Amino acid sequence: MKVGLPRALLFHHYGEGWTSFLDSIGIEPVISASTTGEVVVSGAVHADNETCLPVKVFTGHLLELREKVDAVLVPRVISQHRGTKACPKYLGLPDMARSMGGELPPVLSPLMDLADRRGRWTEEWRRLARDLGATGKAAAEAVSRMLDSLRPLEPQRSAGEPTGFPVGVAGHLYNVYDERVSLGLLDRVRSMGAEPVTVEQVPRRDVRRQLRTLDRKIRWDFENRIVGAVLHWSRTASVEGVVYVNSFACGPGSMIGALIEDEFSRRPSIPLMSVTLDEHSAEAGLLTRIEAFLDMLKHISRTAPPGRRPRGGGP
Amino acid sequence: MKIAVPRMGNLSLIIRDLAWRLGLETVETPVFSEETMEIGSALAPEFACLPLKAVLGSFVQVLELGADTLVTGGGHGPCRFGYYGEIQRRILEREGKSFRMVVLEPPSVGIKAFHDSLRSLLPREHVRLGVLLNELARTMSKVVVFDKLEKRAMALRGLETEPGATDEALAEAQGIVSGAYTRKEIEVARLEAEERMRQVPVDNARPYLRVGLVGEIFVVLEPFFNFDIEHWMGRRGVVVERAVNIADTVVPMGRNPVFGYTEQAVAQAAEPYLSHEVGGDGLLTVGASVIFARRGFDAIVHFLPFTCMPEVIAKGVLSRVAAELDVPILSLSIDEQTGRAGVETRLEALLDLAWSKRKFVRGLAESRARA
Repeated sequence: MKVGLPRALLFHHYGEGWTSFLDSIGIEPVISASTTGEVVVSGAVHADNETCLPVKVFTGHLLELREKVDAVLVPRVISQHRGTKACPKYLGLPDMARSMGGELPPVLSPLMDLADRRGRWTEEWRRLARDLGATGKAAAEAVSRMLDSLRPLEPQRSAGEPTGFPVGVAGHLYNVYDERVSLGLLDRVRSMGAEPVTVEQVPRRDVRRQLRTLDRKIRWDFENRIVGAVLHWSRTASVEGVVYVNSFACGPGSMIGALIEDEFSRRPSIPLMSVTLDEHSAEAGLLTRIEAFLDMLKHISRTAPPGRRPRGGGP
Repeated sequence: MKIAVPRMGNLSLIIRDLAWRLGLETVETPVFSEETMEIGSALAPEFACLPLKAVLGSFVQVLELGADTLVTGGGHGPCRFGYYGEIQRRILEREGKSFRMVVLEPPSVGIKAFHDSLRSLLPREHVRLGVLLNELARTMSKVVVFDKLEKRAMALRGLETEPGATDEALAEAQGIVSGAYTRKEIEVARLEAEERMRQVPVDNARPYLRVGLVGEIFVVLEPFFNFDIEHWMGRRGVVVERAVNIADTVVPMGRNPVFGYTEQAVAQAAEPYLSHEVGGDGLLTVGASVIFARRGFDAIVHFLPFTCMPEVIAKGVLSRVAAELDVPILSLSIDEQTGRAGVETRLEALLDLAWSKRKFVRGLAESRARA
């Protein structure tokens, strides 16, 4: 039996755990290939026209897997940390997948509620493993292996203090790390002589410290991470500037985008540029803007003495 | 302290009632207009949904009318609504307005948070908790009466023999209830108001369509954004039933006294299509659509603000509901650019479709009977 995993959305966060879960109960995980132009187009055609770009990309990956697997795994991710909730799109993702029509294989959707008591949500995974033919012992083993690979989520990609000319690239991991969706943003920044730094490289402790300064708590976890990291960069001046990457029709993204812009305009901050991606985004447009932004940052760093970085900001 | 609250259907009636009971000084928020939307869209983040822009616009207008305390809802769900107040406060401050923003937390966030935010609006410090709860409960029971009257009016409008008779009766009935203070008075007023509604002359013999109205509460309740769908349908002889009501959201424990189906019943109906809460009114939209379809409604109209997260999920799921339960569902996504003509054309097409479907089904039954 083959179970498909779309390489989209939260796969970029929890993919390792999900594949190791399937592996350890002897099921071959089939992960869709990296996003291509066709995947984006087929997703945009088949998904509801109003959903955000990442969900469209997810749909494209799902369709990609359709012929190759006996079932697809779309966990229902409810929360990541206590006191936060996932974006509604994740909550309804399995149901959206089921309503997509077309001969889609069965959708397996165990709950993943990391803020809840572990025993409660892992129960669904254990049951799923049993349904897929694993013994009770193997099921428990699979669940614990999945939990193990979720734990070191933290410092994974952090490569120590950035060197050279660090520029923050803030955005959802499934946008930033998807080369097609972000149009190779990280590589482009790198090729222009800057060092891209992403939000998960900022230690959680620093993120939390910044979040405490907000008047109202943000209730979405990934967005908390982005806001905390961006504020940390700005207030410690640890990067030269921030590129905030958002996708078209992203609900939480529209809120924190406004929040970040407002925070930056209220006190001396590093420069900020907002980029909105959608399925029509063209490379040339993005390239020009990033070039211009980096040129500006370099100009500032040449003219302003270190430690006395620019004031103002805004979009 | 001059308090202003955003407009949303019968919410203004509630505020008026509470102000009267607790001695609050309020400023009436102007009805939504093109101007409100212009102000709101100019200030709000581009991809924020319509309610944020609309409410922001009307906050600017009401501040100009002399309000100094803005009240808005909070919450901790996954919907963006919970963060609106904060974003609006920041934008208005940047615009140089001076005011106080009170985010009224629903009791589900925590009784203390709810109590504290409510208390900060009271003019006198020493209103006893018991008195406060008592007044809130009375207002709540009044809201239920208001919404039930409105529900009755939506059913009558399509059947009335004299155009405007229903609206006249509704206005009078609301007037009767508005004056009631104690529980007993509310009960007496309710009976009297219902009697008034019963006097609307109706023609039951004429065939009529039944249309269910679901969607995000703000656009469903505010006539400016749904192009006054209730009257529009009424003029075409359509009986309308609405799944979302103010009373259902404020009455605790998910009893939904106006819609008539508890939260559990709604979740159960939605279960085969959407099996988890998605924030906002998403689950209600799906569950209510299923309930309407099962009750044999001819069509369902789904209103949502453009990019509304919970409703976009519901919209995706509704296509399956429509196919499997064989009911036409029209999703209308509304933003500041939506034009009346476009919406009305689609609604007309929906009604045509519903009529022809009925004829088709009847024809099918007749040919079966003959065979």
